[in-house]
Amino acid sequence: MNNWKERGIEKIFLLSTIISSSITLLILGFMAYMALPLLRGGLFRLLTEPWMPQQGFYGIYPMIVGTSVISLLSLLIAFPVSLGCSFLISSIGPKSLSAVFRRIVQMMTGIPTVIYGFVGIFLLVPLIREFFQGGSGMCILTAALMLGVLISPTMILFFCDSFDRVPRSYIDAADSLGANRLQTLLYVILPSAREGIVIGVLLAFGRAMGDTLVSLMIAGNSIAEPKSILDSVRTLTAHIALVIAADYESPEFRSIFACGLVLYLFITIVILAVRRLAFRKSEERA
Amino acid sequence: MNTTLPDNTKIRVADLNFFYRERRILQDLTVHFAEHSITALIGPSGAGKSTFLITLNRLWENLPEARMSGKVEITLGGLRRDIYQEAFPVTELRRRVGMVFQTPNPLPMSIYKNVAFPLKMAGGTDQKEMRRKVEQTLKMAYLWEEVKDRMNDDARKLSGGQQQRLCIARALVLEPEVLLMDEPTSSLDSTATEVIEGLLLELRKHMTILVVSHYLDQVKRVADRVVSFEEGAIVSS
Amino acid sequence: MKQAGERLTIWYSWTCGLILTAAVFSILAYLLFKGAGAFHPKLIFGGVSPLKAVLLQQRVFDGLFPAVVGTLMLVSLSVSIALPIGFATGIYLAEYADFRIKNAFNLIFDILAGIPSIVVGLFGFALAVFLHKHYSSSIQPCLLISGLALAFLVLPYIIRTTQIALESLSPEIRLTALALGATKLQNLVYVLLPQSLTGMISGVILAIGRCAEDTAVIMLTGVVVAAGVPKSVFAPYEALPFYIYYISSQYTTPEELMNGYGAALLLLLLCLFLFALAFVIKKRLSYLAFYRP
Repeated sequence: MNNWKERGIEKIFLLSTIISSSITLLILGFMAYMALPLLRGGLFRLLTEPWMPQQGFYGIYPMIVGTSVISLLSLLIAFPVSLGCSFLISSIGPKSLSAVFRRIVQMMTGIPTVIYGFVGIFLLVPLIREFFQGGSGMCILTAALMLGVLISPTMILFFCDSFDRVPRSYIDAADSLGANRLQTLLYVILPSAREGIVIGVLLAFGRAMGDTLVSLMIAGNSIAEPKSILDSVRTLTAHIALVIAADYESPEFRSIFACGLVLYLFITIVILAVRRLAFRKSEERA
Repeated sequence: MNTTLPDNTKIRVADLNFFYRERRILQDLTVHFAEHSITALIGPSGAGKSTFLITLNRLWENLPEARMSGKVEITLGGLRRDIYQEAFPVTELRRRVGMVFQTPNPLPMSIYKNVAFPLKMAGGTDQKEMRRKVEQTLKMAYLWEEVKDRMNDDARKLSGGQQQRLCIARALVLEPEVLLMDEPTSSLDSTATEVIEGLLLELRKHMTILVVSHYLDQVKRVADRVVSFEEGAIVSS
Repeated sequence: MKQAGERLTIWYSWTCGLILTAAVFSILAYLLFKGAGAFHPKLIFGGVSPLKAVLLQQRVFDGLFPAVVGTLMLVSLSVSIALPIGFATGIYLAEYADFRIKNAFNLIFDILAGIPSIVVGLFGFALAVFLHKHYSSSIQPCLLISGLALAFLVLPYIIRTTQIALESLSPEIRLTALALGATKLQNLVYVLLPQSLTGMISGVILAIGRCAEDTAVIMLTGVVVAAGVPKSVFAPYEALPFYIYYISSQYTTPEELMNGYGAALLLLLLCLFLFALAFVIKKRLSYLAFYRP
């Protein structure tokens, strides 16, 4: 009698799992299906042509450049700062201060993205405009700066977590041999946490690529290919938000699904890379 | 301390109490250790022997729920020092008071780098001198022949007994004045044990050695003095 | 030589800490400074008496009330869709799935967690269009579609936190009840789930926060600027984050901008409150778990 109940519940759990996972696949399916006509017209054209609908060009190349440049720049800005902060929290800062600082960083993860965008428009953009004497202030640099602040907390917390996971025996050994806290961090913890750091960076990169609001609100959304970091640019994510109002079934409309597809595939690659690294790390440990 | 102690006292412990998570591990310990001697610490499991060792190199300070009261003075570099005093850097203490742990703990690096590590942390830069010292201590620890051709291999690949000898070599490379050892021969076969015991008898000439041991015959062979622990207190010495 | 490198690292780390703290404080201070002035009942109720507004007797046009209600309804809807499925999935992965299946599903859910929110929104939109064409032409982007899409967005959070909460229970706890004759299901219900409660609840609060702050998904699935309090789940609705976005580029008077600042501050405080709540609950529950007599 009980056995039926047990089996039944297990089946229900399994069903939920199947439903959840099918959503992931459905999303991929819908993106591919909707973008199909455009893809059939030539994948290479789609990925390398500029976006000029009036002239019949529906390429998403400028947006690919936009996403790549902003994400990479924000990573370039955020990584050193995040690493330094994680050093501070896990080793260099005095215990009470480190605990407070960690709380502040944790709190930062709760700040909504739209707030970063909003404050970006009214605080950062005028600043950049002033500083560089010209332009609208809405450009790659501004968006990358704000995005850098946005992705830093996740990176910092991830790095600190990786540091904490280094086996106790290494730290005890280093301590008993006369290494001070900084030396233990630099020569024992950091090398051991190497994969953790790379994983943290990859995850932050994925997050930066997927962000919509910050780029939409402060990167300017111009469709031209950027020539300098003070140029306005459009990301794949912003493009989706902007073109959603276009005529259904038109190629413009379908291009946003192509953007969605590209983003989906980028992210999958990042996740696979992260898994590979995590797997290697657990192998090495064993 | 009101009794006058002979001048060759290396370590003086007075009224030492140690608490971990509000449980008292060590009770009112007062004991002295003479220099150039080997003292064996014996007693049942959980009696506090290993805990006592880490009060002598302040390693317990890494544990958030640990507390200690009492005084520990060690004569280092000819001077009697309160090792818990602010002015005496704990890193300096640990370079002069070496420790070999109960379970071998190689660092995640090559064999060479493991043994050279303390030299590097202490600011050593002369590569030739470092190599010489590494070879010397590895020979003392009866490990040199087995590793001399693979010094760049990861130390974690060594067997348990080899790792233990590695840790002994590593603890000796800075020529500490005091050596704290927790079951140093537990993973070693009889030949290696014999060599290490011989090593200890040699080292005694220059160091003060405290050894936690469960092997009473080893204790008989090696120790000048035996201190017996029971439930955090010293029962006989 | 080495000393210099070590000292440089120390200086560097402190500088980084300073930079980050300065960045976050300037953002918070700016918002507080500019938005505090807008904080009074008029911000939310726009001239209509609060009581009348809450009882839906009078429609609020200049206030945030519809947006606040919209956000609340949205969050409740999406969380109530995501919770049962998420919990069940997390439990299945932690307790019933074998190793290889678990790995495969973990990969799928990692990908789901990584999909940008705008793509999830796009999916929701496409779903609405699909249903519109093939099932009923009365289906269009609305509260229900948004709730569904947001549920997809936060599903991986709930799955992950549930799974991790269950998996981090010690082997002793797992085996005790079984050794005393309990069935797997009994063990789950009477021992494992109560012990994992902290983890699961923090997952829920995380999900709530995520739904409250999201803008990208709702932009594509039914949020509008002026819709009043939604009359049904098939109606369009307003939401706080979208209002903030809209105002930032479309404000026409200083008053509107002030409202925007007020809304931003309100949303920020709401999300920080949820964060603090999650923290307190975690502390409370783990205290109870430890010291229950």
